[in-house]
Amino acid sequence: MNTTPELPVPISYIAGNYFVFSVDAATFLRREHNICGVLTGTLPQVPQQNVFTGLPLELMPEEARLLVEKGVACIVDEVNFQKQGMRSLVEEDRKKYLQELESQGLETMQLQMRRKERQRDASLKKIEEKKAAAKAKKAEAKEDTTADAPTVAEDSVVSLFADSGEPSSHISSRRPSTLGSIEPMGITPPVSHPPLPQQPPAKHLLPLPEVQSSYPLFAHLHSKGYFLCPGLRFGCQYLAYPGDPLRFHSHFLVVSTEWDEQLDLMTVISGGRLGTGVKKGFLIGGANKNVEESDGAGSNVRTFSIEWAGM
Amino acid sequence: MTKHLPLPPVPNPSSLTTFVSSESDPVTTTCATTSQVIHNLQYQHLWTSLKVHHLNLSFPVSLISGIPPHRVYTHPDEQLYMVEHGLREEDVELDRMFVLPTVQGQSWSLEKMAGVFDALPSPGDEDAESEAQSADDAATDGTTADKAAKLAKYYEYRVKARQTGEWGCKRLLLAMIDKGMGGEGTVVYYVAQEGTVKPRQN
Repeated sequence: MNTTPELPVPISYIAGNYFVFSVDAATFLRREHNICGVLTGTLPQVPQQNVFTGLPLELMPEEARLLVEKGVACIVDEVNFQKQGMRSLVEEDRKKYLQELESQGLETMQLQMRRKERQRDASLKKIEEKKAAAKAKKAEAKEDTTADAPTVAEDSVVSLFADSGEPSSHISSRRPSTLGSIEPMGITPPVSHPPLPQQPPAKHLLPLPEVQSSYPLFAHLHSKGYFLCPGLRFGCQYLAYPGDPLRFHSHFLVVSTEWDEQLDLMTVISGGRLGTGVKKGFLIGGANKNVEESDGAGSNVRTFSIEWAGM
Repeated sequence: MTKHLPLPPVPNPSSLTTFVSSESDPVTTTCATTSQVIHNLQYQHLWTSLKVHHLNLSFPVSLISGIPPHRVYTHPDEQLYMVEHGLREEDVELDRMFVLPTVQGQSWSLEKMAGVFDALPSPGDEDAESEAQSADDAATDGTTADKAAKLAKYYEYRVKARQTGEWGCKRLLLAMIDKGMGGEGTVVYYVAQEGTVKPRQN
Protein backbone atom coordinates (compact mmCIF):
# COMPACT_ATOMS: atom_id res chain seq x y z
CA MET A 1 0.00 0.00 0.00
CA ASN A 2 2.93 2.36 0.59
CA THR A 3 3.05 3.79 -2.91
CA THR A 4 5.28 6.75 -3.56
CA PRO A 5 3.93 9.14 -6.17
CA GLU A 6 6.13 10.67 -8.81
CA LEU A 7 7.87 13.71 -7.32
CA PRO A 8 7.33 16.62 -7.21
CA VAL A 9 3.66 16.17 -6.30
CA PRO A 10 1.49 18.66 -8.22
CA ILE A 11 -0.56 20.91 -5.92
CA SER A 12 -3.45 22.50 -7.81
CA TYR A 13 -3.97 26.20 -7.24
CA ILE A 14 -7.66 26.89 -7.83
CA ALA A 15 -9.42 30.12 -6.90
CA GLY A 16 -6.90 31.02 -4.22
CA ASN A 17 -6.84 27.57 -2.60
CA TYR A 18 -4.38 24.71 -2.72
CA PHE A 19 -5.66 21.21 -3.47
CA VAL A 20 -4.24 17.71 -3.85
CA PHE A 21 -6.41 15.44 -5.97
CA SER A 22 -4.47 12.19 -6.02
CA VAL A 23 -5.02 9.72 -3.21
CA ASP A 24 -1.45 8.45 -3.51
CA ALA A 25 -0.09 11.95 -3.10
CA ALA A 26 -2.38 12.72 -0.15
CA THR A 27 -1.39 9.59 1.77
CA PHE A 28 2.27 10.07 0.88
CA LEU A 29 2.32 13.65 2.19
CA ARG A 30 0.69 12.58 5.43
CA ARG A 31 2.90 9.53 5.91
CA GLU A 32 6.28 10.93 4.92
CA HIS A 33 6.00 14.67 5.43
CA ASN A 34 3.58 15.10 8.36
CA ILE A 35 1.20 17.15 6.25
CA CYS A 36 -2.48 16.44 6.93
CA GLY A 37 -4.44 19.15 5.16
CA VAL A 38 -8.21 19.03 5.31
CA LEU A 39 -10.38 16.71 3.22
CA THR A 40 -12.98 18.83 1.48
CA GLY A 41 -14.67 16.65 -1.13
CA THR A 42 -18.33 15.66 -0.92
CA LEU A 43 -20.35 13.37 -3.17
CA PRO A 44 -21.85 15.05 -6.25
CA GLN A 45 -25.21 13.44 -5.45
CA VAL A 46 -25.22 14.44 -1.78
CA PRO A 47 -23.36 17.74 -1.57
CA GLN A 48 -25.10 18.67 1.70
CA GLN A 49 -23.55 15.91 3.76
CA ASN A 50 -20.30 17.27 5.09
CA VAL A 51 -19.58 14.86 7.92
CA PHE A 52 -17.59 12.39 5.89
CA THR A 53 -15.52 14.23 3.34
CA GLY A 54 -13.07 12.84 0.83
CA LEU A 55 -10.69 14.03 -1.82
CA PRO A 56 -9.61 16.64 -2.78
CA LEU A 57 -7.36 17.50 0.11
CA GLU A 58 -7.11 21.21 0.77
CA LEU A 59 -3.79 22.49 2.06
CA MET A 60 -3.10 25.64 4.03
CA PRO A 61 -0.83 28.07 2.13
CA GLU A 62 1.82 27.37 4.81
CA GLU A 63 1.66 23.64 4.08
CA ALA A 64 1.89 24.20 0.34
CA ARG A 65 4.85 26.52 0.73
CA LEU A 66 6.67 24.19 3.08
CA LEU A 67 6.30 21.32 0.60
CA VAL A 68 7.53 23.43 -2.28
CA GLU A 69 10.50 24.64 -0.25
CA LYS A 70 11.35 21.04 0.56
CA GLY A 71 11.20 20.23 -3.16
CA VAL A 72 8.45 17.65 -2.61
CA ALA A 73 5.72 19.51 -4.47
CA CYS A 74 5.10 22.14 -7.09
CA ILE A 75 2.22 24.58 -7.49
CA VAL A 76 0.22 24.20 -10.71
CA ASP A 77 -2.04 26.83 -12.18
CA GLU A 78 -4.74 24.21 -12.64
CA VAL A 79 -7.31 26.25 -14.57
CA ASN A 80 -4.96 27.20 -17.38
CA PHE A 81 -3.32 23.82 -17.38
CA GLN A 82 -6.67 22.05 -17.80
CA LYS A 83 -7.97 24.46 -20.44
CA GLN A 84 -4.91 24.42 -22.64
CA GLY A 85 -4.18 20.78 -22.04
CA MET A 86 -7.67 19.69 -23.09
CA ARG A 87 -7.63 21.96 -26.13
CA SER A 88 -4.41 20.47 -27.36
CA LEU A 89 -5.76 16.91 -27.14
CA VAL A 90 -6.13 15.25 -30.58
CA GLU A 91 -9.37 13.48 -31.51
CA GLU A 92 -7.56 10.17 -31.62
CA ASP A 93 -6.21 10.65 -28.09
CA ARG A 94 -9.70 11.43 -26.91
CA LYS A 95 -11.15 8.22 -28.41
CA LYS A 96 -8.33 6.15 -27.03
CA TYR A 97 -8.87 7.62 -23.57
CA LEU A 98 -12.63 6.95 -23.66
CA GLN A 99 -12.04 3.37 -24.77
CA GLU A 100 -9.59 2.89 -21.98
CA LEU A 101 -12.13 4.17 -19.47
CA GLU A 102 -14.75 1.77 -20.85
CA SER A 103 -12.49 -1.24 -20.66
CA GLN A 104 -11.57 -0.25 -17.11
CA GLY A 105 -15.26 -0.02 -16.26
CA LEU A 106 -15.90 -3.43 -17.78
CA GLU A 107 -13.08 -5.00 -15.84
CA THR A 108 -14.32 -3.50 -12.59
CA MET A 109 -17.85 -4.73 -13.26
CA GLN A 110 -16.59 -8.24 -13.97
CA LEU A 111 -14.59 -8.27 -10.81
CA GLN A 112 -17.60 -7.17 -8.84
CA MET A 113 -19.84 -9.86 -10.42
CA ARG A 114 -17.32 -12.55 -9.68
CA ARG A 115 -17.03 -11.47 -6.09
CA LYS A 116 -20.79 -11.43 -5.66
CA GLU A 117 -21.08 -14.93 -7.04
CA ARG A 118 -18.36 -16.21 -4.82
CA GLN A 119 -20.16 -14.74 -1.85
CA ARG A 120 -23.44 -16.31 -2.91
CA ASP A 121 -21.84 -19.71 -3.35
CA ALA A 122 -20.24 -19.48 0.04
CA SER A 123 -23.47 -18.56 1.78
CA LEU A 124 -25.38 -21.32 -0.03
CA LYS A 125 -22.80 -23.83 1.02
CA LYS A 126 -23.10 -22.66 4.60
CA ILE A 127 -26.87 -23.07 4.54
CA GLU A 128 -26.54 -26.56 3.17
CA GLU A 129 -24.04 -27.53 5.78
CA LYS A 130 -26.27 -26.17 8.49
CA LYS A 131 -29.23 -28.11 7.14
CA ALA A 132 -27.23 -31.30 6.92
CA ALA A 133 -26.01 -30.85 10.46
CA ALA A 134 -29.52 -30.25 11.71
CA LYS A 135 -30.78 -33.31 9.85
CA ALA A 136 -28.04 -35.49 11.24
CA LYS A 137 -28.86 -34.33 14.72
CA LYS A 138 -32.55 -34.96 14.23
CA ALA A 139 -31.92 -38.38 12.80
CA GLU A 140 -29.71 -39.24 15.73
CA ALA A 141 -32.33 -38.04 18.15
CA LYS A 142 -35.00 -40.08 16.35
CA GLU A 143 -32.86 -43.18 16.39
CA ASP A 144 -32.43 -42.78 20.12
CA THR A 145 -36.05 -42.16 21.04
CA THR A 146 -38.30 -43.73 18.41
CA ALA A 147 -36.58 -46.71 16.92
CA ASP A 148 -39.85 -47.99 15.39
CA ALA A 149 -40.32 -45.33 12.69
CA PRO A 150 -37.02 -44.93 10.84
CA THR A 151 -38.42 -45.13 7.29
CA VAL A 152 -40.52 -41.97 7.50
CA ALA A 153 -37.59 -39.95 8.76
CA GLU A 154 -35.29 -41.15 6.03
CA ASP A 155 -37.86 -40.25 3.39
CA SER A 156 -38.07 -36.67 4.57
CA VAL A 157 -34.29 -36.44 4.64
CA VAL A 158 -34.06 -37.52 1.04
CA SER A 159 -36.72 -35.11 -0.15
CA LEU A 160 -35.14 -32.23 1.73
CA PHE A 161 -31.76 -32.86 0.20
CA ALA A 162 -33.27 -33.01 -3.23
CA ASP A 163 -34.95 -29.63 -2.65
CA SER A 164 -31.88 -27.84 -1.47
CA GLY A 165 -29.63 -29.45 -4.00
CA GLU A 166 -31.59 -28.26 -6.98
CA PRO A 167 -31.26 -24.45 -6.76
CA SER A 168 -27.47 -24.52 -6.56
CA SER A 169 -27.17 -26.48 -9.79
CA HIS A 170 -29.68 -24.10 -11.32
CA ILE A 171 -27.50 -21.10 -10.50
CA SER A 172 -24.34 -22.59 -11.85
CA SER A 173 -26.02 -23.26 -15.18
CA ARG A 174 -27.10 -19.61 -15.36
CA ARG A 175 -23.67 -18.23 -14.63
CA PRO A 176 -22.18 -17.75 -18.11
CA SER A 177 -25.21 -15.86 -19.40
CA THR A 178 -25.00 -13.24 -16.65
CA LEU A 179 -21.32 -12.62 -17.24
CA GLY A 180 -21.77 -12.12 -20.95
CA SER A 181 -24.07 -9.10 -20.97
CA ILE A 182 -22.70 -6.81 -18.29
CA GLU A 183 -22.76 -3.09 -18.63
CA PRO A 184 -19.44 -1.32 -18.01
CA MET A 185 -19.39 0.66 -14.80
CA GLY A 186 -19.26 4.43 -15.25
CA ILE A 187 -15.85 5.52 -14.03
CA THR A 188 -15.11 9.07 -12.89
CA PRO A 189 -11.34 9.42 -12.70
CA PRO A 190 -10.22 11.58 -9.78
CA VAL A 191 -7.13 12.87 -11.58
CA SER A 192 -6.73 14.29 -15.07
CA HIS A 193 -3.71 12.30 -16.16
CA PRO A 194 -3.47 10.05 -18.36
CA PRO A 195 -5.06 12.46 -20.86
CA LEU A 196 -2.89 15.26 -19.52
CA PRO A 197 0.77 14.70 -18.65
CA GLN A 198 1.55 13.73 -15.03
CA GLN A 199 4.07 16.54 -14.65
CA PRO A 200 2.69 19.81 -16.03
CA PRO A 201 4.92 21.86 -18.31
CA ALA A 202 6.97 24.58 -16.64
CA LYS A 203 4.84 27.39 -18.04
CA HIS A 204 1.93 26.33 -15.81
CA LEU A 205 3.98 26.26 -12.64
CA LEU A 206 3.48 29.04 -10.09
CA PRO A 207 6.00 30.64 -7.69
CA LEU A 208 6.07 30.01 -3.91
CA PRO A 209 2.69 30.53 -2.22
CA GLU A 210 2.23 33.72 -0.25
CA VAL A 211 1.96 33.11 3.46
CA GLN A 212 1.20 35.01 6.65
CA SER A 213 3.84 36.21 9.08
CA SER A 214 3.21 33.06 11.14
CA TYR A 215 5.04 30.94 8.58
CA PRO A 216 8.42 30.84 10.43
CA LEU A 217 6.66 29.48 13.54
CA PHE A 218 4.81 26.94 11.38
CA ALA A 219 8.04 25.78 9.74
CA HIS A 220 9.81 25.64 13.11
CA LEU A 221 7.16 23.43 14.71
CA HIS A 222 6.92 21.25 11.61
CA SER A 223 10.67 20.72 11.64
CA LYS A 224 10.35 19.46 15.24
CA GLY A 225 8.02 16.72 14.00
CA TYR A 226 4.69 18.26 14.95
CA PHE A 227 1.63 17.79 12.74
CA LEU A 228 -0.11 21.14 12.38
CA CYS A 229 -3.80 21.58 11.68
CA PRO A 230 -5.97 24.69 11.47
CA GLY A 231 -6.88 25.80 14.99
CA LEU A 232 -10.34 27.27 14.54
CA ARG A 233 -12.03 24.75 16.79
CA PHE A 234 -9.93 25.80 19.78
CA GLY A 235 -9.76 29.48 18.94
CA CYS A 236 -6.11 29.55 17.99
CA GLN A 237 -4.00 29.64 14.87
CA TYR A 238 -2.72 26.07 14.68
CA LEU A 239 -3.18 22.88 16.65
CA ALA A 240 0.11 21.04 17.13
CA TYR A 241 -0.08 17.24 17.36
CA PRO A 242 2.96 15.22 18.46
CA GLY A 243 2.11 12.54 15.85
CA ASP A 244 -0.63 11.66 13.42
CA PRO A 245 -3.84 13.38 14.61
CA LEU A 246 -5.66 10.06 14.29
CA ARG A 247 -3.42 8.57 16.97
CA PHE A 248 -2.64 11.48 19.29
CA HIS A 249 -4.33 14.29 21.15
CA SER A 250 -2.86 17.65 20.33
CA HIS A 251 -0.26 19.14 22.67
CA PHE A 252 -0.50 22.82 21.90
CA LEU A 253 -2.82 25.61 20.91
CA VAL A 254 -0.43 27.69 18.84
CA VAL A 255 -0.66 31.44 18.38
CA SER A 256 1.92 33.35 16.44
CA THR A 257 2.86 36.96 17.09
CA GLU A 258 5.30 39.42 15.62
CA TRP A 259 8.55 39.95 17.54
CA ASP A 260 7.73 43.50 18.68
CA GLU A 261 3.95 43.40 18.29
CA GLN A 262 2.01 44.83 21.23
CA LEU A 263 0.65 41.82 23.07
CA ASP A 264 -2.29 42.01 25.44
CA LEU A 265 -1.36 39.95 28.47
CA MET A 266 -5.00 38.92 28.68
CA THR A 267 -4.44 36.89 25.47
CA VAL A 268 -1.77 34.91 27.26
CA ILE A 269 -4.00 34.37 30.29
CA SER A 270 -7.10 33.38 28.33
CA GLY A 271 -5.05 31.14 26.05
CA GLY A 272 -3.36 29.49 29.00
CA ARG A 273 -6.65 28.99 30.74
CA LEU A 274 -8.38 27.56 27.68
CA GLY A 275 -5.42 25.27 26.95
CA THR A 276 -5.37 23.88 30.46
CA GLY A 277 -9.13 23.37 30.29
CA VAL A 278 -8.74 21.07 27.29
CA LYS A 279 -5.54 19.37 28.56
CA LYS A 280 -3.25 21.20 26.17
CA GLY A 281 -0.58 23.82 26.49
CA PHE A 282 -0.80 27.30 25.05
CA LEU A 283 2.15 28.03 22.80
CA ILE A 284 3.02 31.54 21.76
CA GLY A 285 5.90 32.25 19.47
CA GLY A 286 7.37 34.13 16.59
CA ALA A 287 10.53 34.83 14.66
CA ASN A 288 13.15 37.22 16.00
CA LYS A 289 13.58 39.67 13.17
CA ASN A 290 16.93 40.88 14.53
CA VAL A 291 18.50 37.45 14.13
CA GLU A 292 19.27 36.01 10.72
CA GLU A 293 17.75 32.63 9.98
CA SER A 294 20.65 30.25 9.64
CA ASP A 295 19.39 26.82 8.60
CA GLY A 296 16.00 27.56 7.11
CA ALA A 297 13.64 25.70 9.43
CA GLY A 298 12.78 28.67 11.63
CA SER A 299 15.94 28.61 13.76
CA ASN A 300 15.35 32.21 14.85
CA VAL A 301 11.94 31.35 16.29
CA ARG A 302 11.36 31.65 20.03
CA THR A 303 8.44 29.79 21.58
CA PHE A 304 6.94 29.80 25.06
CA SER A 305 4.54 27.22 26.46
CA ILE A 306 2.05 28.44 29.00
CA GLU A 307 -0.09 26.44 31.43
CA TRP A 308 -2.23 27.37 34.37
CA ALA A 309 -0.24 27.01 37.58
CA GLY A 310 -3.21 25.80 39.61
CA MET A 311 -2.70 28.23 42.49
CA MET B 1 -30.99 73.74 61.50
CA THR B 2 -29.24 70.52 60.68
CA LYS B 3 -26.57 69.56 63.04
CA HIS B 4 -23.25 68.75 61.44
CA LEU B 5 -22.31 65.21 62.26
CA PRO B 6 -18.68 64.63 62.97
CA LEU B 7 -16.92 63.04 59.95
CA PRO B 8 -16.39 59.33 60.29
CA PRO B 9 -12.80 58.48 61.05
CA VAL B 10 -10.63 57.55 58.04
CA PRO B 11 -10.21 53.76 58.03
CA ASN B 12 -6.77 52.35 58.55
CA PRO B 13 -4.98 51.41 55.32
CA SER B 14 -5.19 47.73 54.47
CA SER B 15 -2.32 45.43 55.25
CA LEU B 16 -1.53 45.27 51.53
CA THR B 17 -1.36 49.07 51.20
CA THR B 18 0.83 49.30 54.27
CA PHE B 19 3.03 46.55 52.89
CA VAL B 20 3.36 48.17 49.47
CA SER B 21 4.19 51.63 50.82
CA SER B 22 6.66 50.25 53.34
CA GLU B 23 8.50 48.14 50.77
CA SER B 24 9.83 50.86 48.51
CA ASP B 25 10.41 54.55 48.50
CA PRO B 26 9.38 56.19 46.22
CA VAL B 27 6.56 53.87 45.17
CA THR B 28 6.73 53.24 41.41
CA THR B 29 4.27 51.17 39.37
CA THR B 30 6.71 48.31 38.97
CA CYS B 31 7.60 48.32 42.65
CA ALA B 32 3.95 48.39 43.70
CA THR B 33 3.15 45.46 41.43
CA THR B 34 6.12 43.50 42.68
CA SER B 35 5.21 44.20 46.29
CA GLN B 36 1.62 43.17 45.79
CA VAL B 37 2.69 39.85 44.26
CA ILE B 38 5.21 39.30 47.05
CA HIS B 39 2.50 39.99 49.61
CA ASN B 40 0.22 37.47 47.93
CA LEU B 41 2.95 34.83 47.68
CA GLN B 42 3.99 35.30 51.29
CA TYR B 43 0.60 35.42 53.00
CA GLN B 44 -1.73 33.51 50.70
CA HIS B 45 0.55 30.88 49.21
CA LEU B 46 3.01 30.73 52.13
CA TRP B 47 6.18 31.01 50.07
CA THR B 48 9.41 31.47 51.95
CA SER B 49 12.74 33.26 51.46
CA LEU B 50 11.33 35.67 48.90
CA LYS B 51 13.82 37.85 47.08
CA VAL B 52 13.50 40.60 44.49
CA HIS B 53 15.86 40.67 41.53
CA HIS B 54 16.15 43.85 39.50
CA LEU B 55 16.79 43.16 35.85
CA ASN B 56 18.72 45.51 33.63
CA LEU B 57 16.50 45.44 30.57
CA SER B 58 15.24 48.10 28.19
CA PHE B 59 11.96 48.26 30.13
CA PRO B 60 11.25 48.36 33.87
CA VAL B 61 10.74 44.86 35.25
CA SER B 62 11.79 42.95 38.31
CA LEU B 63 11.66 39.27 39.15
CA ILE B 64 10.73 37.62 42.42
CA SER B 65 12.18 34.34 43.56
CA GLY B 66 11.12 32.18 46.45
CA ILE B 67 10.54 28.68 47.69
CA PRO B 68 6.96 27.39 47.51
CA PRO B 69 5.54 25.21 50.31
CA HIS B 70 4.98 22.39 47.82
CA ARG B 71 5.85 21.70 44.23
CA VAL B 72 4.19 24.05 41.77
CA TYR B 73 5.22 22.32 38.55
CA THR B 74 6.39 18.82 37.68
CA HIS B 75 7.26 17.97 34.09
CA PRO B 76 5.23 14.93 32.90
CA ASP B 77 8.40 12.94 32.12
CA GLU B 78 9.86 13.83 35.50
CA GLN B 79 6.65 12.66 37.13
CA LEU B 80 6.89 9.39 35.22
CA TYR B 81 10.48 8.93 36.37
CA MET B 82 9.49 9.60 39.97
CA VAL B 83 6.61 7.13 39.83
CA GLU B 84 8.84 4.47 38.27
CA HIS B 85 11.42 4.90 41.01
CA GLY B 86 8.91 5.00 43.84
CA LEU B 87 9.57 8.62 44.74
CA ARG B 88 6.90 11.01 45.91
CA GLU B 89 6.71 14.74 45.40
CA GLU B 90 7.22 15.33 49.15
CA ASP B 91 10.48 13.37 49.11
CA VAL B 92 12.14 15.69 46.67
CA GLU B 93 13.64 18.87 48.01
CA LEU B 94 11.89 22.05 46.89
CA ASP B 95 13.30 24.31 44.21
CA ARG B 96 13.57 28.05 44.14
CA MET B 97 11.15 29.40 41.56
CA PHE B 98 11.11 32.67 39.69
CA VAL B 99 7.99 34.78 39.46
CA LEU B 100 7.40 37.55 36.95
CA PRO B 101 4.93 40.15 38.26
CA THR B 102 2.75 41.81 35.61
CA VAL B 103 -0.32 44.01 35.54
CA GLN B 104 -3.29 43.62 33.26
CA GLY B 105 -3.04 46.11 30.41
CA GLN B 106 0.74 46.37 30.72
CA SER B 107 2.56 46.81 27.43
CA TRP B 108 4.02 43.41 26.57
CA SER B 109 5.52 41.67 23.57
CA LEU B 110 7.32 38.50 22.56
CA GLU B 111 10.56 40.47 22.58
CA LYS B 112 10.10 41.46 26.24
CA MET B 113 9.18 37.89 27.16
CA ALA B 114 12.35 36.63 25.48
CA GLY B 115 14.35 39.33 27.29
CA VAL B 116 13.11 38.17 30.69
CA PHE B 117 13.82 34.52 29.86
CA ASP B 118 17.32 35.37 28.66
CA ALA B 119 17.97 37.06 32.01
CA LEU B 120 17.05 33.89 33.95
CA PRO B 121 19.95 31.72 35.09
CA SER B 122 20.19 28.57 32.98
CA PRO B 123 18.86 25.53 34.85
CA GLY B 124 22.24 23.77 34.82
CA ASP B 125 23.93 26.41 37.02
CA GLU B 126 21.69 26.40 40.05
CA ASP B 127 21.64 22.63 40.23
CA ALA B 128 25.19 22.43 41.53
CA GLU B 129 24.31 24.15 44.81
CA SER B 130 20.90 22.57 45.28
CA GLU B 131 22.38 19.15 44.81
CA ALA B 132 24.96 19.68 47.53
CA GLN B 133 22.21 20.88 49.82
CA SER B 134 20.04 17.88 49.08
CA ALA B 135 22.89 15.46 49.81
CA ASP B 136 23.15 17.00 53.29
CA ASP B 137 19.40 16.80 53.76
CA ALA B 138 19.30 13.14 52.98
CA ALA B 139 22.07 12.42 55.46
CA THR B 140 20.65 14.48 58.31
CA ASP B 141 17.02 13.51 57.85
CA GLY B 142 17.83 9.96 58.78
CA THR B 143 15.76 8.59 55.91
CA THR B 144 16.38 5.01 55.02
CA ALA B 145 19.46 4.30 52.99
CA ASP B 146 17.32 2.92 50.20
CA LYS B 147 15.41 6.13 49.73
CA ALA B 148 18.54 8.22 49.99
CA ALA B 149 20.12 6.20 47.21
CA LYS B 150 17.05 6.62 45.05
CA LEU B 151 17.02 10.35 45.69
CA ALA B 152 20.70 10.68 44.88
CA LYS B 153 20.10 8.87 41.60
CA TYR B 154 17.16 11.13 40.89
CA TYR B 155 19.16 14.30 41.52
CA GLU B 156 21.96 13.01 39.35
CA TYR B 157 19.54 12.28 36.53
CA ARG B 158 17.80 15.62 37.04
CA VAL B 159 21.00 17.55 36.39
CA LYS B 160 21.41 15.70 33.10
CA ALA B 161 17.75 16.04 32.14
CA ARG B 162 17.80 19.76 32.82
CA GLN B 163 20.89 20.29 30.74
CA THR B 164 19.45 18.38 27.78
CA GLY B 165 16.05 19.99 28.29
CA GLU B 166 14.35 16.60 28.64
CA TRP B 167 12.41 17.83 31.66
CA GLY B 168 11.88 21.32 30.29
CA CYS B 169 14.25 24.25 30.10
CA LYS B 170 13.91 27.63 31.75
CA ARG B 171 10.62 28.20 33.49
CA LEU B 172 8.98 30.92 35.54
CA LEU B 173 5.62 31.75 37.03
CA LEU B 174 3.79 34.53 35.29
CA ALA B 175 1.82 36.41 37.94
CA MET B 176 -0.79 38.89 36.83
CA ILE B 177 -2.78 41.38 38.92
CA ASP B 178 -5.60 43.68 37.99
CA LYS B 179 -5.35 47.28 39.18
CA GLY B 180 -8.48 48.47 37.42
CA MET B 181 -11.57 49.22 39.58
CA GLY B 182 -9.27 49.81 42.53
CA GLY B 183 -7.96 46.26 42.20
CA GLU B 184 -9.69 43.41 43.97
CA GLY B 185 -6.54 41.70 45.11
CA THR B 186 -6.64 38.64 42.88
CA VAL B 187 -3.32 37.37 41.59
CA VAL B 188 -3.35 34.67 38.88
CA TYR B 189 -0.37 32.46 38.21
CA TYR B 190 0.62 30.73 34.98
CA VAL B 191 3.63 28.52 34.33
CA ALA B 192 5.55 29.85 31.35
CA GLN B 193 8.35 27.78 29.87
CA GLU B 194 10.80 28.27 27.09
CA GLY B 195 10.37 26.08 24.02
CA THR B 196 7.79 23.41 23.25
CA VAL B 197 7.15 21.67 26.57
CA LYS B 198 4.37 19.11 26.46
CA PRO B 199 1.41 19.76 28.72
CA ARG B 200 0.89 18.04 32.05
CA GLN B 201 -1.78 15.36 32.24
CA ASN B 202 -4.03 16.95 34.77
